[in-house]
Amino acid sequence: MRKHMDMVTPTLPNRITSNPRTRMDHRTHPRAHPWTRPLGRFAAAAALAGAALLALPAGSVPGTGLDAQVPAPRQDRAVALVGATIHPVSGPAIQGGTLVFENGVITAIGTNVAIPEGAQRVDLSGKHIYPGLIDAWSSVGLFETGGIDVAIDQNEFGDLNPNVRAAVAFHPESRHIGVTRSNGVLVTVSSPSGGLISGMASAMMLDGWTWETMTIRDKAGLVVNWPGAQSPSNYNQALADLNDAVATSRAYLAAKDAAATEGRLFATDVRWEAMRPVLDGEVPLMVVANDVRQMQDAITWAEAEGMRIILVGGRDAGYIADYLAEKEVPVLLSSVNSRPGRNWEPVDHLRALPARLHEAGVRFGISGGTSAPYANRLPYEAGVAMGNGLPELEALRALTLYPAQFLGIDDRVGSLDVGKDATLLITDGNPLEYATTIDQAFIEGRDIDLMDAHRQFYERYSEKLRQLQGRPVL
Amino acid sequence: MRCRSLLLLGAMALIPLPLLAQTAPTVGLRDNSPDFHALTGARVVVAPGQVLDNATVVIRGGVIEAVGANLAAPAGARVWDLAGKTVYPGFLDAYADVGMPTSVPENGDRGPVNWNRQVRSFTSAVEEFSDNGDRSEELRNQGFTAALALPRLGIFRGAGAVVNLGEGQPGERVVRGDVVHGLAMVRDNRAGPGYPTSGMGAITFIRQNLLDADWYDRAHRAWAAQPDGLRRPEQDRALAALVPVVRGDRPLVVETRDEDDFLRALRIADEFSLDLWLRGNGFEYRVLEQVRAAGRPLILPLDFPSAPNVSTPDATLGVSLEALRHWDLAPENPGRLAAAGVEFALTADGLSNGSDFLRNLRTAVDRGLPSDVALAALTTTPARLLGVDRTHGTVARGKVANLVVADGDVFANGTRILDVWVDGERFQVNTEDGLDPRGRWVVAGLGDSSLRGELQLSGQPGRLSGTFSAGGREVTLTTASLAAPSRRLTLSMPGDVLGQEGAVRLSATVEDGTLFGYGELPDGSRINFRADRAASTPETGADPGANGNGNGNGSAFGTGNGSAHGQGTASPTGDAFSLSMVDGRPSFAPVNYDDLPPAMEFGRNGIPDQPEHVLVRNATIWTQGPQGRLENADLLVTRGRVAQVGQGIEAPSGAEIIDATGRHVTPGLIDAHIHSGLSGGVNETGNAIVPEVRIGDVLTSNNIWMYRQLAGGLTSAHVMHGSANPIGGQNQVVKMRWGALPEELKFEGAKRTVKFALGENVFRNPNRYPNTRMGVEQIILDHFQAAREYVAAWDAWERSGQGIPPRRDLRMEALRDIMNGDISVQSHSYRQDEILMLMRLSVEAGFKVDAFHHGVEAYRMAPELAEYGAAAVVWSDWGGFKVEASNNTNYNVRALLDAGVVTSLHSDDSEIASRMNWEAAKMLRTGVGEEDALNLITLSTARVLGIDERVGSLEPGKDGDFVIWSHHPLSTVTLADETWIDGRRYYDREEDLRVRDDVQRERARLLQKVGAGR
Repeated sequence: MRKHMDMVTPTLPNRITSNPRTRMDHRTHPRAHPWTRPLGRFAAAAALAGAALLALPAGSVPGTGLDAQVPAPRQDRAVALVGATIHPVSGPAIQGGTLVFENGVITAIGTNVAIPEGAQRVDLSGKHIYPGLIDAWSSVGLFETGGIDVAIDQNEFGDLNPNVRAAVAFHPESRHIGVTRSNGVLVTVSSPSGGLISGMASAMMLDGWTWETMTIRDKAGLVVNWPGAQSPSNYNQALADLNDAVATSRAYLAAKDAAATEGRLFATDVRWEAMRPVLDGEVPLMVVANDVRQMQDAITWAEAEGMRIILVGGRDAGYIADYLAEKEVPVLLSSVNSRPGRNWEPVDHLRALPARLHEAGVRFGISGGTSAPYANRLPYEAGVAMGNGLPELEALRALTLYPAQFLGIDDRVGSLDVGKDATLLITDGNPLEYATTIDQAFIEGRDIDLMDAHRQFYERYSEKLRQLQGRPVL
Repeated sequence: MRCRSLLLLGAMALIPLPLLAQTAPTVGLRDNSPDFHALTGARVVVAPGQVLDNATVVIRGGVIEAVGANLAAPAGARVWDLAGKTVYPGFLDAYADVGMPTSVPENGDRGPVNWNRQVRSFTSAVEEFSDNGDRSEELRNQGFTAALALPRLGIFRGAGAVVNLGEGQPGERVVRGDVVHGLAMVRDNRAGPGYPTSGMGAITFIRQNLLDADWYDRAHRAWAAQPDGLRRPEQDRALAALVPVVRGDRPLVVETRDEDDFLRALRIADEFSLDLWLRGNGFEYRVLEQVRAAGRPLILPLDFPSAPNVSTPDATLGVSLEALRHWDLAPENPGRLAAAGVEFALTADGLSNGSDFLRNLRTAVDRGLPSDVALAALTTTPARLLGVDRTHGTVARGKVANLVVADGDVFANGTRILDVWVDGERFQVNTEDGLDPRGRWVVAGLGDSSLRGELQLSGQPGRLSGTFSAGGREVTLTTASLAAPSRRLTLSMPGDVLGQEGAVRLSATVEDGTLFGYGELPDGSRINFRADRAASTPETGADPGANGNGNGNGSAFGTGNGSAHGQGTASPTGDAFSLSMVDGRPSFAPVNYDDLPPAMEFGRNGIPDQPEHVLVRNATIWTQGPQGRLENADLLVTRGRVAQVGQGIEAPSGAEIIDATGRHVTPGLIDAHIHSGLSGGVNETGNAIVPEVRIGDVLTSNNIWMYRQLAGGLTSAHVMHGSANPIGGQNQVVKMRWGALPEELKFEGAKRTVKFALGENVFRNPNRYPNTRMGVEQIILDHFQAAREYVAAWDAWERSGQGIPPRRDLRMEALRDIMNGDISVQSHSYRQDEILMLMRLSVEAGFKVDAFHHGVEAYRMAPELAEYGAAAVVWSDWGGFKVEASNNTNYNVRALLDAGVVTSLHSDDSEIASRMNWEAAKMLRTGVGEEDALNLITLSTARVLGIDERVGSLEPGKDGDFVIWSHHPLSTVTLADETWIDGRRYYDREEDLRVRDDVQRERARLLQKVGAGR
């Protein structure tokens, strides 16, 4: 039952806006013997757009002399994308559809759509439109360079930090933002880590001048590091600490409410204060758990406390798939394109895990789960699941709609539907496939600069090569 | 010394005057207790397979004076009635540490010793032996009467001696000194820090020291012959002690930890023509053929693994099939060796609890070790090996009176060793048979006592427990213990059973079938009682006599198709999980594993067949050669080599034909940089410059990664030393021949390569030169200058033949080979400055860098690399994980290709090595073409490693290494359907799908077996 899968034949991307600042010239076939010419496609483009490139403000990434990307201006005019295959992911694909967005919000989608007066009409025949991908467990914005503790803003001091929020530490000019975006990931749920209760993960869109304008939801989920059960005594102690934290929070909030009723003064505790939306079920727990026992104990705990839970990690979720389906507990898988945890497990154990969960009816998303420099690999994590039995639409939803639903940001992102943000990708094929080119991206209707640090390095050193023109280096 | 004591032994048989053998004066009264004994009426196993019934052994003066059936005890001998007992020759432990030191002298060794404290060959068991707190009694209780005491510190450990296991001054106990030298395959932390830190370092260190011993001897001879004008060579007791070893005049016994160690030790022995003995490891069954072919003396431990934790479903998840198989098979190891005709001695060494020896020995007998072979392995074989067979090993006239007295067949469960005789002295191990109060007793008070009831005793003789019942009530005994010598049983229990509040205390003498005793009741009254054994049989196991002499009828070994080294992947030949109940206990069908390496999950029994012709038809074939990519094409591989690629190839007769319609075929993938498949560490950190150590010395086949990598289409890889050293060790190119032994993994004829490293990793250690990139340059330069001077010194000596011969130095030789171009330099690097530095330095120092690995900033050096002619071996997208890696770009490959640099991708990661096609696929988004992307993991990699004449493309004459992919090889949905190496199908996805079920079934079955006990 082997089927030949033809590679998507790369076609010439159409330019849909004129943003001479960064747009690449795609007039050459992107993969036609690129190094038979001394200068590659981007270098050629850089040469064409050289003046504009040089005009970029310099030096905002310390130590590189390079520039992070310039955030895009607010959408000031309706845009109608016409003729593409639209993949809303909330429903079936629309061939030859039209998608209209205005003021950053999708206003129409379908095959029979009236294009508003004055809208910019862009012909995208042969192209595909997808919602922007979401890395639902990420460290983008919080992690810059390994080996330097002070460049990593993830682990706050102590075990119980429900009050800290990732959003306020999100570095808007992190080099990893541009690189991540270039591979189609337009939203990250950037997450603290460490301790028992690590803090609030924040849903961030990957464009903006400040963390404030980039924030979709600052309290998307409360990250809990479920302790490891290898040492029974440590495990029991950690569980006791977690239980105590919840009990103390409840006592604190009850005492505070009582004090308010009675008009008494009350001393604030920011940690227990931060637990209120979690105890109210407004903010879900994101419990990092991989072992069967961890996952089951975490669910038992969350149920007993009446809190919403999302499991993060889920390496062994396949062993309790029916249980997870029965409990309707969502799982954010964190390593799919990866090794089996045990020698006896089949080589594709994790790659086939999404398909296994799908068959069992478990709700799941797929996250990056690695450090910020590798958030750009997210599409391939779901792609490999597709190659191991997960239907294509489910693979896409695992990177878009599902995590948005779990984390309560599906009113803004996660699918292409009227009323949601125009946060989308224009591609020449499925963004989960290696050969696919991401031509363009919009975030809240803003036309995003897909230049990034990696391409800037490339262009700079293409210039070195060009200057030598085949002469000896000395 | 040895000759003299033998003469004395001979004399003593005629004139028993003990003081002749002793120089110490008597203090106080002389002890002249009789040393004249007759052990009568026993079944005497005088030697393996030779039994005398109703025989007598006469001992005088520590020596056996006579042995014979129906021999009357001589007048004057103390008679020991051993009717019903069995006498064996005393056991010899051929690898013990009795009386040996456990730490090196705190303030250093005295005298001229080696620069490295791991070389302790100057020590000697005779000199080190101390009877203070040695483990003699523990060994005696297992039947041992003599042992090889071997020093255990360091790598070269010193000379062992045979000692007896009696009690006495060291001078009385040493039987024979300087028997054999000891060797470890791993550094000993007790001997201090430093070189060698790794497994491969230890092997090179051993080789260097053997070379040094040879040089030491020749250097001193040269100097002694003509000292005029020559500087005196250094004195080194350690090297001096090794001279007879390296000359083959004295054996060396190496302690191995697994089958890999075993094979590695054999290679060293062959290289240096050593008289090598091996202390085995319990994994010999995995390499039975190699062990047999080696024909070297083998000393086998019986340290069977303890049962894996199967108490909860969470715990069983963590238990590997490899561990389960070894748990199940380890007890069969001795039996399998015996069946293969391998002779061995046994040792109690390696047991965490010495008292497990007999139990494990019996398990081994139960699992196929013939008891005669077991006895030989404990007596005649070690006696011969240790050179004491004239005096030890059998029960014979004139031999030392070292005996074991047991109450039955010592190899059968339940038999107890009663006495051990050492040099004619009796040591009681267990009290005599019959004193076992376990079972049911009917208790009746004597006189006017109202005590009536039934006593049930169970547990172990040393740890009794039980119940007492009377009047329909039953209580558990509070205490129960037996004092054997006085035959006194004491019990206590709650008085409820007698209707009284408080404790009842009883005490009784155990006699044949009767207890007589007295006791005190809670009310203070004292009573007398008698108890008689109840008629019915006591519970199973309560009566040691019930076990008889059965020799284990359930041997799991030797009943199956032992020759089954056929095709296919290992699975138990038995059917699915089968469990039946026998006597209320679960019983399992015997297992017949076809277990050649790798003895683990997905293990394959040997390498697959090579069909004469393989024809893959109608595929999209990416030749990566001049033929380019062909649609609807065929690939013909004949006798392991590519014969033809093209359309419409005629199938030779008998060809195996694979229809690959709609599928893709590529050359086997190659990874230029992995670290999996070796043991003992990837870095030798004991010195900054270590080109002498070799990854090829420490390859292992027990490497699940290899299977996973095969499943991703990988057929060759460069297994590299780590990056802790400016000049690291030599790497090894391998083919992923899953099922082959470590030596067979090596890519035949591949050029030798060495790892260099620059940047942060090599100066992370603040206590070692270098600490900066500046120092890295200087230390490399300095060592190449040293190598040049080394070569010059040898040249001068070889021309003149005068003076003291130079010493062979493996480090300098490796540097010499680098300068000669025989070893290819493959350097770890990150930043552009260090890449440039090494290129420029190499010109000055006289070597060539063939490739820069990692090269996170290689794109910044692209024109320089192209001009110099070094390749770049880089990651697809790694970066940002440390400061020197922070200026990465996913366009690295693209920029290097633009400049014409030979470029390859590597994984540097076991998992990524299993999906290199997707690493290449990532390059598509940077504008690299499809075939060029595939080149990064095939032909270009082969060029980097200098193996492109053999692999990397599908061209006639090249190796038949190829992959059949389900889809386009660079698609995210593709799977490797088949991976072929040397024209052999090493991986087949359809087979994998079957084998994973076998793995589950076998695990389930073994987990159940573990739960039921061995």
